[in-house]
Amino acid sequence: MLHLLRIDLKKMTSYRTFWVICGIYFFTLIIGAASGMELLRMLSRLIEGFGQEINIDRIPLYHFPDIWQNLAWTSGLLKMGVAIMVVVSITNEYTYRTIRQNIIDGMSREEFLLSKVYTNLLLSLASMVSVFLIAVVTGLIYSPELDFPYAFTGISFYPAYFLEIFAFLSFALMLGIFVQRSGLTIILLLFSYLIELIVKSNVDNYFPGAIQFFPLESIMNLVPMPFARYVFQEIRDQVTILSIAIAAVWTFLFNYFAYLKLKKSDI
Amino acid sequence: METVLSINGLTKTFGRLTAVNNLHLEVKRGQVFGMLGPNGSGKTTTLGMLMGVVNSTSGSFSWFGQPPTSHVRKKIGAVLEHPIFYPYLSGQKNLELMAMIKEAPVANIPKVLELVELKGREHDKYKTYSLGMKQRLAIASALLNDPIVLILDEPTNGLDPMGIAEIREIIKKIAADGKTIILASHLLDEVQKVCTHFAVLKRGNLMHYGPVDDVGKGEEMVEVAAYHDDLGVLLQEFIGSATVKKENNEFLVMMKEGYHSQDLNRFLFDKGIVASHLITKKKTLEKQFLEILAEGQVMNSIKK
Repeated sequence: MLHLLRIDLKKMTSYRTFWVICGIYFFTLIIGAASGMELLRMLSRLIEGFGQEINIDRIPLYHFPDIWQNLAWTSGLLKMGVAIMVVVSITNEYTYRTIRQNIIDGMSREEFLLSKVYTNLLLSLASMVSVFLIAVVTGLIYSPELDFPYAFTGISFYPAYFLEIFAFLSFALMLGIFVQRSGLTIILLLFSYLIELIVKSNVDNYFPGAIQFFPLESIMNLVPMPFARYVFQEIRDQVTILSIAIAAVWTFLFNYFAYLKLKKSDI
Repeated sequence: METVLSINGLTKTFGRLTAVNNLHLEVKRGQVFGMLGPNGSGKTTTLGMLMGVVNSTSGSFSWFGQPPTSHVRKKIGAVLEHPIFYPYLSGQKNLELMAMIKEAPVANIPKVLELVELKGREHDKYKTYSLGMKQRLAIASALLNDPIVLILDEPTNGLDPMGIAEIREIIKKIAADGKTIILASHLLDEVQKVCTHFAVLKRGNLMHYGPVDDVGKGEEMVEVAAYHDDLGVLLQEFIGSATVKKENNEFLVMMKEGYHSQDLNRFLFDKGIVASHLITKKKTLEKQFLEILAEGQVMNSIKK
């Protein structure tokens, strides 16, 4: 496993585009996560203009335990950045035909796919750890008091966030293997939300229960949007087994479809 | 002799097109095996199947008597069509990556770079290389794992005469090491110069299979010149000549069977003429190749 991961990392670590995209991704992740209070200040100024007033210090955006879900959800928005990296990585192999040479040199098709899947796992893990560390640091700065074990409620959103990233990267990898061209794959990746939305809105009127089973919906469902709780609405603040199960099945299917395609095609 | 590669009825169809049709071949250890055929005759498709990148429609093949697996491929060095590398990596990094895939010792990298004379440029990005350097890097990569078998597909494609000569020298050097080489090419001169055996493909069918040495067998042709006015007439008198043709200042004598250039030489000498120019011309592979293709006789099995 480590051997295959090292092979794929060797391809990436001397590739400038990789560092640029990763740099932008992790930089935005960190800066974005640390700028929540500034955003709130801007928001309050905006509302002031309408004659309303909010006390931003009353919103526990960065307080334990709210911060876990808040940060996990916000960071989830940025997964497109790292997914584009994955698309570039796989479609390059087709454009440069290096996938062909890799197999000629003695990789099996399974091993080739696994090397990409392991990199996806690593990128997901790195995302999760970064966001977790940011949450710990900002939480410690902003939280007025630490109330254990209450402070840890909602920490289970981190494994869910990990699955969210990994599922989406698996989807991106599969699209890349099917489409093989970077531009088209990225456009499809961006459009897939729109396409799913159109299908969902048609289905919603007849089988509302089916919505949660849609692939991208299931990925979004892992960590639900938390901010409605600050306007006194009920939100789901726990990870549900069903959401994990649906997303896990999709993740498996994405990788399995990629495997089938790779197995069957002439390279 | 030990069989390196054995192909049994290998077939590949793309829709209605049959790219390779029921191919049977055997390559033994130490052979330099030339695969000839016009463009689109199925050479690259065959090699693609042998290297696991093209799925065969039917038939089978085995390497070293074992079923083909990715593990077996690690012991084969292959360059199909044109060189393929990561353009943004240096030659050195590309080879390091390949060494990881092939599970080859990294210590081999300087050795193979030395062999193909790329030392000094290995840290430059691959995309800055000239075509000849790319081809040489490809050969270096194929040699990385000290392979028992080397597969080269059009290794001199697009090279200038100097590049072609360089690659030929490298191939000869490798062949002298006792490695088995499978060389696909449509440069017949190339194959005749380096190969021991050859096969001819046409539209996916095997047309011919045999040793290169057999090509020259049959009637000889001798090119003669001498400072003598009636040379043409004298040559007609020689009982060994079948036909005599004048080409520029030389005569081209087609010999009857059983007569050789030394007989002609002795004949002239006895007449008091010393030849200033005397060359035995064997039938070229090119000529034979064109004959084979023209005959259109399909060979469906090989004599073992």
